[in-house]
Amino acid sequence: MGKTNKMKSVLIIAIVWMLSSAALEAAQPEFDDLVRAISDEFHTRPMHIPFFGLVNLATFVARPGGVKHINLALFENLPADDRSIRRLSDALRSANRNWRPFVQVQGKGETVEVYMAQEGNDCKLLVATIETGEATVVELKLNPKAVQVWLREPEKSALHHHDRGEAY
Amino acid sequence: MIRIAFIVWIALAPLGAQEIKLTAKLDRLAAKATEVVDVTMDANLLQLASRFLSDKSADESNVKKLVAGLKGLYVKSFEFEKPGEYQDSDLDSLRAQLHAPAWSRIVGVRSRKSGENSEVYVKTEGGKIDGLAILVTEPKELTIVSIEGSIDPDQLSQLGGNFGIPKIEIRKESGHGKDE
Repeated sequence: MGKTNKMKSVLIIAIVWMLSSAALEAAQPEFDDLVRAISDEFHTRPMHIPFFGLVNLATFVARPGGVKHINLALFENLPADDRSIRRLSDALRSANRNWRPFVQVQGKGETVEVYMAQEGNDCKLLVATIETGEATVVELKLNPKAVQVWLREPEKSALHHHDRGEAY
Repeated sequence: MIRIAFIVWIALAPLGAQEIKLTAKLDRLAAKATEVVDVTMDANLLQLASRFLSDKSADESNVKKLVAGLKGLYVKSFEFEKPGEYQDSDLDSLRAQLHAPAWSRIVGVRSRKSGENSEVYVKTEGGKIDGLAILVTEPKELTIVSIEGSIDPDQLSQLGGNFGIPKIEIRKESGHGKDE
């Protein structure tokens, strides 16, 4: 392959990536509302996660764990008190009333809350984890098989997700 | 020997929606527990869930049919670090809600070997079963399940292992309980 062709390939990949990222960003207004609601509640901004659009590009292709789409927001420096989880839940529910509470796992110093909602023919889950002043909010669009796993073992799925979430 | 024991029909999750109220005494157990899990499936969520349950496998197809007749399903479980962190008397106010004429206990199994106890209660209205409560106690774990709606207790084992409900083997009994 000549130098010109190589450059063309790189350029095409870059354009596709940028367009995909832009499309994915545009397709998540509800999640943006949710992030805004949390930001307003705690007067803090989510951490910037560089190249997160690539995760969705990979998700679109590979569907790891039956996940068709993922949105993620991380918040730091939240008050480390018992009221934070309640405030986080209220903010989530106020941003979108369609979320139905599904699972709550409360451990020492950490809480995982999972909400479920329908979006067209798909099922969405919202997994919010709060511990020692940090909150992770993940929205997952799942395929039916993945939903079945969550329904079969909601607690294990929530904890498994939480463990994986720490690696984000 | 296993002490399977309490299975009680209890409605958990959103306190306002549940038929059986978790008492303040039980709520206080949460502070002692290392982990507290609430699974909440109201009518809307059950409806949504049933759309995603498969018809392909016989098991899931049965669960799907079962779920269609339910109005709510709530599971609450407490896990403790060591035995003895809760007393059987902590559950008295809970059991007090499961009394005749609406409620009757259909299963009570105790295992002295494992210390596990299970009880199953059914709620009848107009001769029809309208709810079910399960209470399972183990030395370091307590699980309360509440199911609202029409369900045949014989089908309960099919729900076990789904939605956070422990796997339950029901052997009907006419008496008050059984030791194993």
